[in-house]
Amino acid sequence: MTVSPLPMDALRRAMAELPGDRLTPVRQAALARLQESGLPTTRHENWKYTDLSGAFEVAKRALEAGSASPKDDGVQAEIDAVRNSIDAHWLVIANGRIIGEPPPDLQTPGFEVLRFSKSSTTPSIDEPLTALNAALLEDGLSIRINDGADISKPIGILVIDNADATPGMSQVRVAIDLAASSHAQFVEYHASSGSAEHYSNTVIDLTLADDANVEYLRVQKRSLNHSQTERMNVQLGCNSRLCHCGFDLGGKLSRNDLNIDITGAGADASFNGLFMAGDGQHIDNHTRVDHRVGPARSTQEYRGILSGACRGVWNGKVIVHDGADGTDARQANHNLLLSRKAEIDAKPELEIYADDVKCSHGTTVGQLDEAALFYLRSRGLDRRHARQLLTHAFATSVISKSPLPSVEGLLREMVEARLNELAASDMP
Amino acid sequence: MMLEIENLKVKTGDVEILRGLSLSVNAGEVHAIMGPNGSGKSTLALAIAGHDDYIVTDGSIKFKGSNLLELEPEERARQGIFLGFQYPVEIPGVNNAYLLKVAVNAVRRHQGLDEVDAFEFLKLAREKMALLGMDPQFLNRGVNEGFSGGEKKRNEILQMAMLEPTLAILDETDSGLDIDALKAVAKGVNALRSDDRAIILVTHYQRLLDYIEPDYVHVLSQGRIVRSGDKSLAVQLEEKGYDWVREAASA
Repeated sequence: MTVSPLPMDALRRAMAELPGDRLTPVRQAALARLQESGLPTTRHENWKYTDLSGAFEVAKRALEAGSASPKDDGVQAEIDAVRNSIDAHWLVIANGRIIGEPPPDLQTPGFEVLRFSKSSTTPSIDEPLTALNAALLEDGLSIRINDGADISKPIGILVIDNADATPGMSQVRVAIDLAASSHAQFVEYHASSGSAEHYSNTVIDLTLADDANVEYLRVQKRSLNHSQTERMNVQLGCNSRLCHCGFDLGGKLSRNDLNIDITGAGADASFNGLFMAGDGQHIDNHTRVDHRVGPARSTQEYRGILSGACRGVWNGKVIVHDGADGTDARQANHNLLLSRKAEIDAKPELEIYADDVKCSHGTTVGQLDEAALFYLRSRGLDRRHARQLLTHAFATSVISKSPLPSVEGLLREMVEARLNELAASDMP
Repeated sequence: MMLEIENLKVKTGDVEILRGLSLSVNAGEVHAIMGPNGSGKSTLALAIAGHDDYIVTDGSIKFKGSNLLELEPEERARQGIFLGFQYPVEIPGVNNAYLLKVAVNAVRRHQGLDEVDAFEFLKLAREKMALLGMDPQFLNRGVNEGFSGGEKKRNEILQMAMLEPTLAILDETDSGLDIDALKAVAKGVNALRSDDRAIILVTHYQRLLDYIEPDYVHVLSQGRIVRSGDKSLAVQLEEKGYDWVREAASA
């Protein structure tokens, strides 16, 4: 029997290698769930444009090869580089393994970090990829921000994967709970190294109690032979506020699901993203907001820059449930296609079952503005420089929405560097 | 001779706009090009600047003796040709000061000069802005982003003042300006007048010429210069209207 396309015996073998602890029964339940549901294919509406069969093939080979530890030298250099460039309380998960015990500086009053195996947190298994994650999860991280705490320094979650001799697969699970009236900032950073292919599957559950406030920055800068799926489930209580910004700058295939459940009146969710794809890359952002009560607000803007033979996907779903009066939902997606071979599939979806709501959506797909190009050239800038400047300007509007001012400079550098790479490989 | 246009024919799409236009401009001169809407004034300006949409099918443009038509728009700019746009483009996300500095340095590099440093640049920019009555805050905004019509035109003149071009072509810079903005623009243009520069003013109305006195006035109609004269021609036009020229042209 198989959970197509993953062989059951290899899955069981991998699970048997995991430590026997309080997560063992959850893993068994997750496997049963997975057997029932199977894994997503392009026949599912939600996965129409994103074919995971390549990633699952890597997963299969990784399962058959058995678990591999990350090569210490390459990984450590990468960890140090991230630590040195972003000042944060860093938690490191390498190849799905939590590195070390939470460091002493995390024991500051206001919040605590525990492993799932040593806490009461249990991983959810409701979705196929979430079930895959739970079945093969070595351990998860549970971050709790205490009542009324205000954590001034960002909390960093560094997900790093390395596959060298054989293909790799990793599961990452983080649960973040903010108690009432607390405030914290997060940086989630994905990096990778190694010559072999890798598939990483991350699930983050973020829960904001009433009046909690979160700034969340996500940066995905994987190498071009690594694929990843990520699901973030957010629950927003009364008058809570989420400001989220995601940057997809690398990866062979990257699929991000951001699901926001608004269960408290007065909640405010703003989430934005920039994705930049070059030859051979596939980047898919799926967002879903469930407005269950009103008044509440959700605002999103995703921007894509696509260059070379690549594909971008944006699907923004907003459901305003019956009774969620006073909902204000706005979505926008703008895409810049710098090559004829680039493809974007953009789809806003609105389902409204309440009466008193304000909803708007807008999607644009285009090339660089010829009038602006000529204007810049008439000021002495050559075509290449003018194109670069306009492309950069397109990206800048997302950077300026990034919720962590301390990381803005670094983001600018990273976006600039990626733009230059894309320009070197593709622009006429 | 700074600019020598001979029998210039230009089309955009399938429509021929300029139909054999000739014009000579010497250093030190200010020329006004007037004419009714659709006569080809803006086409002339854009063809000199090198816009891709305006295709030269016949004739020649020489700038300081060499063929201008072989050059890309940016090369023309670096050689000292400046076009003040009728409709300056808004470019959010590109900083106004950054563009100014890059533009100035592109010209300086071409001239074999060192690039201006940040301090020098800011000093110069503030000086020119004071002359034009512009708030220094405009430097920090996106290029023309959210500028009013008058602010956009002043910004064009600021760019011109910073670039100190050899040949400035101002395409309907006066349109949509209130009297204060018009005076500021005129001040900027007059400050640039010198023996080694030339200025071409493209305008629909005589009003601008009250503030910038031209040496020559040309009337464009149906893609050709149909009448040339001194500044009194502009006054005549204002009195008699463009029909007078049209009749003269077809007579």
